[in-house]
Amino acid sequence: MNRWFGRGPDLEAAAMPRHSQEALRPLLARAAAQESTMLEGQVAFLHTELVQVDGLVQEAATTLQQALRTLDDRVKAQHRLALSVQQAMQITGLGIDSTEATATLSATIVGTLDAFVNNMLEISKSSMKLVEEVEDIRIRSDRMESMLGELGDIAGQTHLLALNASIEAAHARKFGAGFAIVAAEVSKLADRSTALSTNIQQQIEGTRQALLRTDTQVQAIASKDLNLAIQSRGESESLIGALDGSTRKVKELVAEMEVNARLISEQVGHVVRSLQFEDLVHQTLQACMQELGNLQEQASAWRALRTGLENGEDASQLLQNLCGTLDEVEAAQVRFKAVKRESLAAGDVDLF
Amino acid sequence: MGKCILTVDDSSTMRQMIVFTLKEAGFEILEAGDGVEALDRAKGQKLSLVITDVNMPRMDGITLVKELRALPEFRFTPILVLTTESGIDMKQKGKDAGATGWIVKPFSPEKLLEVVNKVL
Repeated sequence: MNRWFGRGPDLEAAAMPRHSQEALRPLLARAAAQESTMLEGQVAFLHTELVQVDGLVQEAATTLQQALRTLDDRVKAQHRLALSVQQAMQITGLGIDSTEATATLSATIVGTLDAFVNNMLEISKSSMKLVEEVEDIRIRSDRMESMLGELGDIAGQTHLLALNASIEAAHARKFGAGFAIVAAEVSKLADRSTALSTNIQQQIEGTRQALLRTDTQVQAIASKDLNLAIQSRGESESLIGALDGSTRKVKELVAEMEVNARLISEQVGHVVRSLQFEDLVHQTLQACMQELGNLQEQASAWRALRTGLENGEDASQLLQNLCGTLDEVEAAQVRFKAVKRESLAAGDVDLF
Repeated sequence: MGKCILTVDDSSTMRQMIVFTLKEAGFEILEAGDGVEALDRAKGQKLSLVITDVNMPRMDGITLVKELRALPEFRFTPILVLTTESGIDMKQKGKDAGATGWIVKPFSPEKLLEVVNKVL
């Protein structure tokens, strides 16, 4: 049985008289010519279109594959950068995964600075005590100077007494000669005492000046050290705050990069799955091409009928030949759906 | 050097997607465009796994599975069939030929890796 003319034997049974066949011959030849021309035209058109679609799909798939590889390379590069940042942070002791490490470092720096400031305060207190001691020495020096004044007066009076004694000794002539020697020696002692007093007074004055300079220096040092320590602690605290903020920010950025990398990785998975559309489309197009080949066979069969009729061959035999060819074409018809899946969702897996 | 996997498919896109997925996981990949080329590539290789399509020119995947199973060195090598074919009859043919598993296209990278690690 064929879909065109029924079974062969029926055709023979229904054979027309010779004169009727001859009358139908031009009509049959014309119909066969139209059928073959139309089929050939459709086959040629569809073949061209399908080849073009196949080429476009393959080109698109190739481009997408290249883009995918580039994207994957870039994602890997970004991942390496994130790792480098993490390593750099760990080298500086500010591990990304260790907020505690940052807090410990900050506490250590603040503790050290506190100890430094306290030390400076102690030095300042000692300096102030030193200033008081210097003042006490100055007061004592003043007293000593006053006492030296009295000593100078005593030396002056002793000198005067020695002078009077030497005058009296002169009046006593030879009886006062020994006394004159004693008076001269007393006068010499008074002179030496005056010279010593003057010398001591100069030394005391020098000491007072040195104490004044020391006092100024000690006060300046005490004030300067304390101010510097307090200022340093403030600056360090600001620096640590900035460092903390920076570490937090870097940590957030690295976490964001990791989230992005994970999202991109998921999307790459979708792309890998979806890119397989090229194979599915190619297989569908191949099935269409095969069916087009069958159509071409049909067109050739119709053309053979036309040629035979035009050459005056036996019409019944020609029709038999046509039916035979169409039967073959029907048998070769693509009866399966090349690609059964209608979506790009991942297919089933079956392990035997 | 990672384990060596031979992927057989007439579609270069499919082969590239398999290479992309499995190379990431550290496998070494060999490629072939059909059964005949696959048999040629397999010679002298110590393959840990073969992944093959079914519909290919010159030699289809089912025949390839039979041919490989006939070779002593591949008698116990896992062979996965990766195809658009999902019919029970065709799956049975694959199983009878000696395939280890059947994966219907398209595959998801995670699932393919999961199956590969399971059969290795």
